[in-house]
Amino acid sequence: MSDYVYDLKTAPNRQVTLPITVPLPSLKTYLAEQATAAKADEAKFRKATADFATAKAKAEVEGTELPKPPIKAAPKREVHDLVTPIPSEAKDPDLLRLVERLGEGAEEAFEQSGELVCQVAKERILEALLLCREDASLRYEMLSDETATHFPASSSFAFSVVYHLTSLSRAKRLRLRILIPAGFEPESATPAYPAANWLEREIFDMLGIRFQNHPDLVRILCPDDWEDYPLRKEYPVTGWGQRDIDFREDRSGRLERLAMEKAGNAGINLKVPKAE
Amino acid sequence: MSQKNCPTALEQILITTRVEKVMNWSRATSVWPMTFGLACCAIEMMAAGASRYDFDRFGAGIFRATPRQSDLMIVAGTVTYKMAPIIKQLYEQMPDPKWVIAMGSCAISGGPFDSYHTIQGVDKIVPVDVYITGCPPRPEALIQGFLKLQDKIMSSSLADKYKEIFEELPR
Repeated sequence: MSDYVYDLKTAPNRQVTLPITVPLPSLKTYLAEQATAAKADEAKFRKATADFATAKAKAEVEGTELPKPPIKAAPKREVHDLVTPIPSEAKDPDLLRLVERLGEGAEEAFEQSGELVCQVAKERILEALLLCREDASLRYEMLSDETATHFPASSSFAFSVVYHLTSLSRAKRLRLRILIPAGFEPESATPAYPAANWLEREIFDMLGIRFQNHPDLVRILCPDDWEDYPLRKEYPVTGWGQRDIDFREDRSGRLERLAMEKAGNAGINLKVPKAE
Repeated sequence: MSQKNCPTALEQILITTRVEKVMNWSRATSVWPMTFGLACCAIEMMAAGASRYDFDRFGAGIFRATPRQSDLMIVAGTVTYKMAPIIKQLYEQMPDPKWVIAMGSCAISGGPFDSYHTIQGVDKIVPVDVYITGCPPRPEALIQGFLKLQDKIMSSSLADKYKEIFEELPR
């Protein structure tokens, strides 16, 4: 059981290839990409026209055959099932209401293949969630899912935390999103949605995002003494081989919880997570 | 039939055997497994216990819900680092004599999961008697493995338990 290799050079399977793109759906990014592509096409066409003019003049002087004039290329349109849906302007009344109520707090709102997305300022996420829940015209009662993604290639943020809300009374879905830099601690969603408790524990377990005012922020899937966060992109997922197995008694922390419960702590773990 | 082979009156009412053989026979024909599944192999284990394959024909149909009443632990599925101490504890709670079957490639060697969370074979934490290959193994394979385990039990000796003590004794 001594195969625990720390040296990446001797364990080539544990080499990690970090992504170089930021595949984050966004209307702003999409429009910027489109503008850049159009600009590049325009510059290319202008250069081709200038080249054509000089070539034409040269051909007229020498009396040879005239070159073909450049044709403006039609924009490429991909037609297959795997094409990414194009984000469009927000037209849904829910999104408009959210943008109206949040003002500066709503950084971006768009629709993509019928799904409503709103990007919220990272400091105001709890306010946005409470608004979605309490506002009479929104009424999103349920938090279906809360999850996060690591984007190491981005320079402006490190993680995105996504909240999937469902309105049972209105049969609608809404997605809120915050982009946070490394080390930023967003506010916990538990005051608005108690279901966020375990979901945020999972996010903390897998990505190491700590949430402020969370009632019980400890690991949920990995053992308590696990090192590092497995869903970060720089974490080597394969090639670990067999590692040491810890057989200490209270590995899950259950006995500790029972002791706390006895001491009148209601079994809630109030300890601050171990510093990195 | 010759006079020699004809059983005498005494032999007709008496069976001569060894205590060891009787004990092995009784152990091998009433192996009670533990109700313990970790992943998709457990589905095949359940199928083996159901009426079509009928594990009960070999005396192993009574899946116990507690390790205290079990003789056999069928490790059916992927063993993670978080599950390892629990498996170890359950194994230690089982009374002697006890046996372990590693069912499926995950329990044998980690299978496809050369990963940060999977133990590379359950034999890293508990001693394994029979390994059954497959992903997952069919109920027939589990029955075959169980018959191998029965053979192993039948060929074991009561002195096996004291083997290590005997080996340590000066000659």
